[in-house]
Amino acid sequence: MRFETPTEQFHNAVSIAARFAERRANLSALAGILIAAENGRILLRATNLECGVEISLPAKVTEGGVVAIPAHTLQGFISNVRGKSVSVAHVGEVVRVETDRAVASIKTLPADDFPILPRVSASTVFTIKSNDLTRVIRSVAFCAATSTIKPELQSILLFADAGKLSAVATDSFRLAEKTASLRSGGSVPHLLLPARNAVEFMRILETYQGDIDVYYNENQISAHINTIYFTSRLVDGSFPNYRQIIPASFSTEAVVLREDFSQALKSLSIFSDKFFHMSFAIEPSKKALILSSHNPDVGEQTSTIHAAISGEAVTMSFNSRYLADSLQAISGESIRILSNGMGKAILIKDAADESFLYLAMPMNR
Amino acid sequence: MTTTKDLWENTLVELELTISPPNFNTWFRDTHIVRVEDNTVYLGVPSQFARDWLSRKFHKDILRSLRGLSENVRSIEYIISRGTKKTPEEIVSTPAAPSELPLEAVHTKSNLNPRFTLSSFVVGPFNELAHAAAQAVIRKPGIAYNPLLIYGPTGLGKTHLIQAIGNHFRVHAPDRKVFYMTSEKFSMDYVSALQAGKVHSFKERYRQYDLLVMDDVQFLAGRDKIKEEFFHLFNYLYDGNKQLVFTSDQHPNFIQQLEDRIKSRLSAGMIVSITPPDHQSRLAIVRAKAAVHKVVLSDEILDYLAATVEGNVRELEGALNLLLIQFEMREGPLTLADTKNILRTAAGTAKKAVSVGEVVKIIANFYGIEETSIYEKTRRKEVVRPRQVIMFLLRDDFHLSFPAIGDKMGGRDHTTVIHSCDKIKNELLSDSILNQEISQIRLMLK
Repeated sequence: MRFETPTEQFHNAVSIAARFAERRANLSALAGILIAAENGRILLRATNLECGVEISLPAKVTEGGVVAIPAHTLQGFISNVRGKSVSVAHVGEVVRVETDRAVASIKTLPADDFPILPRVSASTVFTIKSNDLTRVIRSVAFCAATSTIKPELQSILLFADAGKLSAVATDSFRLAEKTASLRSGGSVPHLLLPARNAVEFMRILETYQGDIDVYYNENQISAHINTIYFTSRLVDGSFPNYRQIIPASFSTEAVVLREDFSQALKSLSIFSDKFFHMSFAIEPSKKALILSSHNPDVGEQTSTIHAAISGEAVTMSFNSRYLADSLQAISGESIRILSNGMGKAILIKDAADESFLYLAMPMNR
Repeated sequence: MTTTKDLWENTLVELELTISPPNFNTWFRDTHIVRVEDNTVYLGVPSQFARDWLSRKFHKDILRSLRGLSENVRSIEYIISRGTKKTPEEIVSTPAAPSELPLEAVHTKSNLNPRFTLSSFVVGPFNELAHAAAQAVIRKPGIAYNPLLIYGPTGLGKTHLIQAIGNHFRVHAPDRKVFYMTSEKFSMDYVSALQAGKVHSFKERYRQYDLLVMDDVQFLAGRDKIKEEFFHLFNYLYDGNKQLVFTSDQHPNFIQQLEDRIKSRLSAGMIVSITPPDHQSRLAIVRAKAAVHKVVLSDEILDYLAATVEGNVRELEGALNLLLIQFEMREGPLTLADTKNILRTAAGTAKKAVSVGEVVKIIANFYGIEETSIYEKTRRKEVVRPRQVIMFLLRDDFHLSFPAIGDKMGGRDHTTVIHSCDKIKNELLSDSILNQEISQIRLMLK
């Protein structure tokens, strides 16, 4: 095998593929990127058997063939070389990677062991703007559980009803939901996409503007993003019926400026203890939110934020990070905070945008 | 024909020889035969990755091996199965419909059994002190009696009482963090934290509680690292005026292999004992338990039950349950004769065979006197009391006849034995020290 291709695009492709390779795999080939050259194109493939990616690039192929190269070695080398183009040649047990100034010989991996990626038939599909899908994943992914006890909570729930795609994630202490319009495909059943894979998916989606088609069956999801093919396993399980836990009415509502709230939370974090404990009071009489945190080793702080409030006064304790997390998904100028009193979950929304909601439980003390 | 499981296991053994270990482990893990139908083997695989690759790369090998073992296999279908191993876990982990943000996560954290409440706790002379102490703790947590230690033999409601304290807090002061555990769980947690290198988070976790309830502290004895960890946890919570509640099967001073620093700390607050219930209390307990089951039993039967089923409340409950099931099965009401019959057949409790010599040796040891002096004709006070205790136990626990006991005790008259037994029995009613001594000895004899 022998080909030549522009360094920059090869570097980009290798960087993306390397994220899917698994360094500590049982099967050594999985630590590599498979490169297949044929008919003026090269194809890079990497997978950890949870999700996988294939990237197709134009290249000057002088000799076809297939080779598997350790991903981290190749990426480490290619990201530190200069030069307009790179040429790759398979010679015996090694691959020679050559640029204007540097040459590397990298030992190859058994290409025969490298699996193919699953394909999903085109019968079930929805179409969405790449930007929108990126946004819904980013808005909820941080809420997914990190513990492996409940695989369904480690996943993002995706489903669509009447042309609206919803993404939901929860770790059982807080929950985020974000919706976006589909371009086509009216309803989609519940799909549980592992959150880690969703984040990789999102990073690929970010590179592309335009509509994408997402194919799915009960076990697998896949999409073509420009020249990149992405596929991921779906989790088999059922997501809690989260709609039931979102309260329909509230006893207190406060509207504050997002910037004020965000700044207060940031400075409070300096004084919070290791549990990020923070007390949170809505005071209708003072027309203010009063936030305070204290750490016996550092000191304490109280912030007062001007707010428009209706309803009763309430005081609660929160993990301040849970509240701060919600803001990263909100872009509007002001936010609505809705509460049903002590010990009940609060709901945070963008005041001008109904597509996002965030539910957080208070701390139990 | 062999079962599908055997067939697949044999196939795997054969395949393992021809395929490299990494390939074998990656692709054949979690595979199984779902069913065999019309000479087609339906092979369950965990994911589409595995399905695509097995059918493409290893299909021929698998088919050849299967045919070698079962000639009529013609083809293989690969299906993505919802793995056999995963299913039970999923049933558990799929919450039917959490009514709030899976809030039960917060409640299960306290580890308390909501069944144990103060209102279902029967109070009698044998446990009223413990009950009063629990009430005081509830009113002034961390101040009244800290730590509170309740001790007594098994099955008398120690766990019920301490869990009731926890449950009361959970309901009436939901902002306070309550945690119940056994000392065994504490040890296990510590060991696994140690193995995972997360001792720090272990410490953090236990130090956040406002009320820590630990059952069976005597099991901490003899485990040095765990005792040390317990010691530090105790100090931390105690200094923060957090309420601590413990149970033990004996007074902390009698727990062997427990350092004095821990003993003295356990004794710092309030130590109360629960003794086996007297007849009136047992009657009250039986009544209350029967009422829970909504069954009306005649006074006669209840009285008989309370009188005959010796031992702890748990055994009493067991005997009552036995009656209840009979009660449900038969048509008419239970008579006293029926009751006697049912209980007699069930009460085949075998006592361990212990020789008289051994009993004498253990008790003489316990009181620190010469074994031989028991058999002598002396009336020294320090010998008379142990001798009486021996006779009492031989009669009460081992059901020896009075003359036989007299014979074993160096040829004493059976009336002497009867007198001794009565004396001890009477003193037991009033003397709590004697009570304790006897329960200690009984433990040693087991």
